Amino acid sequence: MRIFTAALVALMFAMGAAARPKDEAPQYKTAETKHFTTAEGVELSPAFVDYFYAELRNELTKAKLVKEVIGEGEGVEDADAPKSLVISGTVTEYKKGSVVKSSLIGFGAGLRSLKMDADVVRRSDNQNLCLIHVHVKIDPRWNEKVMAKGAAHEVVKEMKKALAEGAKPTTGEATKPS
Amino acid sequence: MPLRGTLRLSNAFLSLVVFSGLTTHPAQADEPKPKPENTITIQPELVPPQKFERPPKFWIADITDRSGNPQPLLVMKERGGVFLDKQPTAIMKDALEQSLKAANLLAADAASADLVLRVYLFHFGLASGSALDFFGKVEFSTMVKSPKTGESLEVQAIGTSIANGAMRKKNMQKNVEENIEAALRDATRNFLRGRQLKEAVATLAKGSDVVPAVAPAPVEPPKLRPR
Repeated sequence: MRIFTAALVALMFAMGAAARPKDEAPQYKTAETKHFTTAEGVELSPAFVDYFYAELRNELTKAKLVKEVIGEGEGVEDADAPKSLVISGTVTEYKKGSVVKSSLIGFGAGLRSLKMDADVVRRSDNQNLCLIHVHVKIDPRWNEKVMAKGAAHEVVKEMKKALAEGAKPTTGEATKPS
Repeated sequence: MPLRGTLRLSNAFLSLVVFSGLTTHPAQADEPKPKPENTITIQPELVPPQKFERPPKFWIADITDRSGNPQPLLVMKERGGVFLDKQPTAIMKDALEQSLKAANLLAADAASADLVLRVYLFHFGLASGSALDFFGKVEFSTMVKSPKTGESLEVQAIGTSIANGAMRKKNMQKNVEENIEAALRDATRNFLRGRQLKEAVATLAKGSDVVPAVAPAPVEPPKLRPR
């Protein structure tokens, strides 16, 4: 009976493994992420930009969108350039939010908000592959780094969608209340 | 009256002792101390450098800590602390030397080197993150100098890594160690495979072919950055 149960479990695992779709090879070889710039009037700490850069690279690696995520300013072999991406962008708006408004009014009032634009270009000819607009909202009590995490996740999600669809401008909007 | 004065003095002395005891003892108790169980060893990984047209021989002259961190060995203060077993400058030097040596780009001594590197380390270890994970960051700037012409150029490099947070101390230490190793590998790679280094090597090689009549003014080394 025990042997039969063990065999049944092993068979189920084997069937599950066979049914799972195989990992497709990424379409692009490398992606270089640049530090995002901040528009005039955006009051974010310099540490935010560094953290967002790290998070964006982390999310790109997790998404398996490209074979390799390289750092800012790193070189790529000439043969790989047509299959390489460069991601840059700007934080266009940042609102600190208000804890009082958020607690008293609720319904999205007083949330901390961040808007950013990201450009994805092909390295070889600088052709714009997609333009991403992201709007992230979080509870004002949360750290701005949490917002960076959400924004990076949203940028990669939209990028994946846009590259799959084929170079159409997309707009992503994310709200992460407490 | 003299008795009152003595009483006041003794009261003041007593309160001073009590307050000093209250303020200093907990702080001393909270201050983490390096022990074998809370010390991590960072093992640099080999990073293959980029290919140069005419591969130069590098020599690492000096690595200076410009982070302004009073405790460079202390990586994390919370939960009993996490310490490095070596100074960040020594780890950084090991990482660069190992990678250059493996690619046969390291000179035997300063005299035989085509380019001399002076590294200024701005950040090594953990940086403030989202509190949900560990954010490792290694940032440095290098002055690449041609001993023949005296000309120098600056090359900047940054490496980052995000690792998951952990509840157990053992896992936390492991994650911190892996995180710093990843950030160090990333920074070394950013330097050795960066376009800035390629351009600097090409420019300095051109300069050393034609020796200038007047030596160029030395470039000022990078200054301490606010943390």
